[in-house]
Amino acid sequence: MPRVLVIEDDEATAREIVAELTVHGMLAEWVANGREGFDRASQRDYDLITLDRMLPGMDGIDVVAAMRRAQIDTPVLMISALSDVDDRVRGLRAGGDDYLTKPFAPDEMAARAEVLLRRRQPQSAQRLRAADLELDLVSHLAYRNGQPLTLLPTEYRLLEFLMRNSDQVLTRAMIFETVWGFHFDPGTNVIDVHIGRLRRKIDSAGQLALIHTVRGTGYMLTAAHDTLPVTS
Amino acid sequence: MNARPNGWQSATSRLILIYGALFAVWGFILVGVIQWETTRYLNGVIDQMLLQRMHYIASTDPARMPATVDAASAIDPHGIMSVGLFDRDHRPVAGNIDRLPTSLVQDGQVHMLEHGLPRPDRDAERVRARGLANKLPNGDILVISKDTSTIDGLGAIIRRALLWGISLTIIPGLLGGFLLRRGPRKRIRALQEATDPIRQGDLSKRLPVSRRGDELDQLAAIVNTMLGEIERLMSEVKGVCDNIAHDLRTPLTRLRARLYRTQQQLEGRPEEALLEASMVDIDAVLTRFRALLRVSELEDRNRAACFDEVDIGQVLRQVHEFYAPVAEDRGQPFELDVQPLAPIRADAHLLFEALANLVGNAIKFTPPGGKVSLRASMDKRGPRVDIIDSGPGIPADERDAVTRRFYRGDNSRTTAGSGLGLSIVSAIVRLHGYALDIGQATTGARLTLYCYPVAPGEKPGTCLTRAVPEVTPLTV
Repeated sequence: MPRVLVIEDDEATAREIVAELTVHGMLAEWVANGREGFDRASQRDYDLITLDRMLPGMDGIDVVAAMRRAQIDTPVLMISALSDVDDRVRGLRAGGDDYLTKPFAPDEMAARAEVLLRRRQPQSAQRLRAADLELDLVSHLAYRNGQPLTLLPTEYRLLEFLMRNSDQVLTRAMIFETVWGFHFDPGTNVIDVHIGRLRRKIDSAGQLALIHTVRGTGYMLTAAHDTLPVTS
Repeated sequence: MNARPNGWQSATSRLILIYGALFAVWGFILVGVIQWETTRYLNGVIDQMLLQRMHYIASTDPARMPATVDAASAIDPHGIMSVGLFDRDHRPVAGNIDRLPTSLVQDGQVHMLEHGLPRPDRDAERVRARGLANKLPNGDILVISKDTSTIDGLGAIIRRALLWGISLTIIPGLLGGFLLRRGPRKRIRALQEATDPIRQGDLSKRLPVSRRGDELDQLAAIVNTMLGEIERLMSEVKGVCDNIAHDLRTPLTRLRARLYRTQQQLEGRPEEALLEASMVDIDAVLTRFRALLRVSELEDRNRAACFDEVDIGQVLRQVHEFYAPVAEDRGQPFELDVQPLAPIRADAHLLFEALANLVGNAIKFTPPGGKVSLRASMDKRGPRVDIIDSGPGIPADERDAVTRRFYRGDNSRTTAGSGLGLSIVSAIVRLHGYALDIGQATTGARLTLYCYPVAPGEKPGTCLTRAVPEVTPLTV
């Protein structure tokens, strides 16, 4: 069971984070002070840390910077009310791995936490597999049932992100940030259109559907249908 | 309007010129009066001398008259005071006047000689003279005249003095005026420069006030007070708007989370659809709040932290690649035409956001089967990007309003969206100091983004006054 340290001074927000992480099968511990959070992160081995920006005792930026200086490489999900691009950049430059703005949807927060946990696991540098779908990370080619698929560069990046996080719910914002590298709300159904085009190439007629829509949240690539909350 | 007055539009320059002209006119009048009075006085003196001489010579014995006249002329070899005696047939009898001046009335009064008199010491050169003629009892005519070139010389001296005086007054006056004008003009220029960011929407800036406390400082202080009040009111209005958006996001997000959890529990039951519809509505509200706060966030950014040299062609290719599937799904040919472009200083992420909004709108408002074009070229001052579509276009009377928050034009009321997309674009364009022109193409809407700083006097964000070179129309 992954161990998560929640460093958050607002009790209501902390309860929300802990509850959501627990639902997703994680063991969450909560501290309300930046200094205490840094001490706890230094003493114990956590799989993930969620870190607020504005904390008593020690600012979130200082906490993550001090952790990186102390060679603590635990993934850090920064959660902050400061939504400006500059604040995001500062947080990531200080050593944060992802940045989520308050108020956040709990399922979005949990999805980001799971992606960060996945990133920590050693991964094969050669090939990714999901059922009979294969992605060759060296040749940048995709195969379904042994047959090569013709993918555009964006479709390849999108598929790689989905496959690296297979069986994991990914929100539209996460997809847009990772695949395109931008941090704003495109405000239209553009991500859905891109997923739709990829889906037509991957899940052709008669084949097991691998890309699924998770209603109200985003998408998931999985071969195990019974793990899906809701699919379409 | 040209905000920068040239030299002649300056109030100080005008005042100096008016004072200079008045001073010159007054100088001319003053010296003219002096010259006129001096000439009149000297002419009076000459006339008295001539009358006395006439009286003296005319009262001598007629038999001794020629000798007296010859003696009188002999003592004046230069002919300054000339005397001549003529018989009744106007033949000269004595003296140094060769010919009787025909224009001189023989009334014993002094007159100006019309043709002057020849000066024997100057090779008979005629000079201006005053004289009088008197008919003697024996029928002879006695003429006495006096050269007035001394008075004319005096007049010339006075005129020269006048010209020198005016020159020596006006030249230092103009020089002094120029130097005097420099101070106020420098201050006016400083005030104008201080107003540039204010006119571009930065109400935190103030006009400079010196320690002199003069009229300019008093005016600047009044304007600063007004600016402070406007800033406070704007901040309050914006703050209320932002606080509502900010404060409502948390409970709405929590409400959405509860609905989501409930929906998971009610999977497959009839209530699930109702919950999903509620979540769609909450998502729409949250999207609007996010967009509203995004506009505020962009408007509050007063520094270019992420500005760097950007290849705008690359950004346009990314935007095209991002939206091409959407256009394709709607059966809209989506053309990309990027000419070689100079790099620009910009925030690439914000530029992508602005262009994505513009392209997204073009695709959204163009009917299925229509056409959208994304073009970039260099104009005289830098790169320009044209987004052209074959949709209904934006009516001329709505073009200024569409960048305002929540404005929905007639053509967009039935289309999904927050009504804040162009507000975000406008804020990003303003942040870069660029200009956005909303116009009409032959086929539909044309939005042009000028990727270079606006000219002085132009307002960044939107610019509806610039003459836009026509773009090649779309062929639909």
